[in-house]
Amino acid sequence: MKIKNTTDIILESISEGVFTVDLNWRIISFNRAAEEITGIPRKEAMGKNCWEVFRTNMCESNCALRRTMAEKKPIINTATYFVNSEKQRVPVTVSTAVLRDKNGEIIGGVETFRDQRQEEELRKALHGRYQLGDMVSQSPIMQKIFDLLPQVSESDSAVLIQGETGTGKELLARAIHGLSLRREKPFTAINCGALPDTLLESELFGYKAGAFTNAMKNKPGIFASAHKGTILLDEIGDISDAFQVKLLRVLQDKTFLPLGATQFEKSDVRIISSTHQDLDDLVKQGKFRMDLYYRINIICLQLPPLRERKEDIPILVDRFIERINRLRKRTVQGISHEALAVLMTYDYPGNIRELENIIEHAFILCPDTYILPDHLPDHFRFQAPLPGKFASDTMAASKKSFETRAIMDALKKNNYNRQAAARDLGIHKSTLFRKIKALGIILPEIDGRAGRRRI
Amino acid sequence: MKIGLTVWNNHISPVFDAAQTLLVVDFEHSEIVDKKYVPLQPGIPHHQAGSVMAQNIQVLICGAISEVFARMVTASGIQLIPFITGGADDVLNAYIKGKLQTRAFWMPGYGSQRRRRFRGNFKQ
Repeated sequence: MKIKNTTDIILESISEGVFTVDLNWRIISFNRAAEEITGIPRKEAMGKNCWEVFRTNMCESNCALRRTMAEKKPIINTATYFVNSEKQRVPVTVSTAVLRDKNGEIIGGVETFRDQRQEEELRKALHGRYQLGDMVSQSPIMQKIFDLLPQVSESDSAVLIQGETGTGKELLARAIHGLSLRREKPFTAINCGALPDTLLESELFGYKAGAFTNAMKNKPGIFASAHKGTILLDEIGDISDAFQVKLLRVLQDKTFLPLGATQFEKSDVRIISSTHQDLDDLVKQGKFRMDLYYRINIICLQLPPLRERKEDIPILVDRFIERINRLRKRTVQGISHEALAVLMTYDYPGNIRELENIIEHAFILCPDTYILPDHLPDHFRFQAPLPGKFASDTMAASKKSFETRAIMDALKKNNYNRQAAARDLGIHKSTLFRKIKALGIILPEIDGRAGRRRI
Repeated sequence: MKIGLTVWNNHISPVFDAAQTLLVVDFEHSEIVDKKYVPLQPGIPHHQAGSVMAQNIQVLICGAISEVFARMVTASGIQLIPFITGGADDVLNAYIKGKLQTRAFWMPGYGSQRRRRFRGNFKQ
């Protein structure tokens, strides 16, 4: 194409690929950016059918240019991809319009396309950084876990996940399974704390017909049905001493004996255990077998409570809103800054599960706009006043509010050890107690003297 | 010998990943014995590749194909002849006569890769 006029100069200088076709879909012009994006020289593209050059996933069934020519209407920014000669999928956005001559007669079509590779890479980088499996997090503590997870998953070793209730232990276990070589095989979770020994044994190992009354036929247990897959033994700290011995045998010998069977069966499963308790402490107290502890604790992952990763509250709230909107066919737009600020001040003893319940509660009261502080559960309305715009405007109320926050922050920092918090605040311990009482601050039962802070 | 061509409007389909129809041709000594059209399941690599594999073809002739799909096809032992364009009958006849490796059947921009790939004739 020789550069002849202003239009040609503009077409050659822009960063969007542009080509035009005649009524037989033959390419009649192909600009510089189109050459660069497709990797096809202009001389090779000219005269060819557009689908041979700009081969997108839409050509065959949903061609934008064909629709434009049929309906005589432009189509703007349709996302698609084309496959280049290196077998790479190149994401692009495409716009199409009809091409008319001086008399207004349609003589063909024009297609412009923008290379989206950079945007796509950025989006993936962001997405990947904050998300793993069904877990989302921007917290540095969680990022460390996310970074470790691919190696942990590939190792096939036993994993112990510790964390308070509602921190997402099962989601983490699922993510490990999803990244492992066993991902095509079953993932089965069982709550060991919810079942008595006999039931747990029949659930895990199965039973043979006649093993007990009403055992009419063989029933395979989880170890058999999850063969080559992954089993999550949730709340493993709650199993009895007797069952710990049985479990140890399975982990050591990789065989198990179904109830009523006379022969051991082989087991090939990856064991992930989880607990809200401190197994190390239980071992020291003699409540958990040391040999079993070492068997299940090849790799230990500690999930932080939500109060230690509050930066995740906004993205978790967004995710819950999106999910509940989808499930209940609602159109709640989001959460107001005020309501989010209230949520940020709370400590969530029930962790992420509690936050999810709070958003579900808000959905009931919220018309389809934004979640406001009034839509939150009652206990949020009786919180100590917040600093900033939600505090009362008087100087006294503001002072009270700031004192409350300062005391709470110092207590949290020192794991609720009152003496250490008072030292941080530069006041005497008895002054701290007096202020806690006067400000009506409700503290958790732990006092921080015996507790250990985990990293 | 059994070969497959992804086709659309009697042409080779522009993109294998999104192709909806496979033309399966059985021929012996350059004579076509059987010819049938099989619907594909575009979109998901293992579905699309699985539909092709299920036809027990030895060779697949297609248009542009992305890396993931290409690997799945070749991993199943099928010889892949990608980035081919033209009328389905022309391409089929050219293949049977061993003349598919001419520039007329290559998609634009694929010349250099094709030259590297086809130094010899196809084995049939």
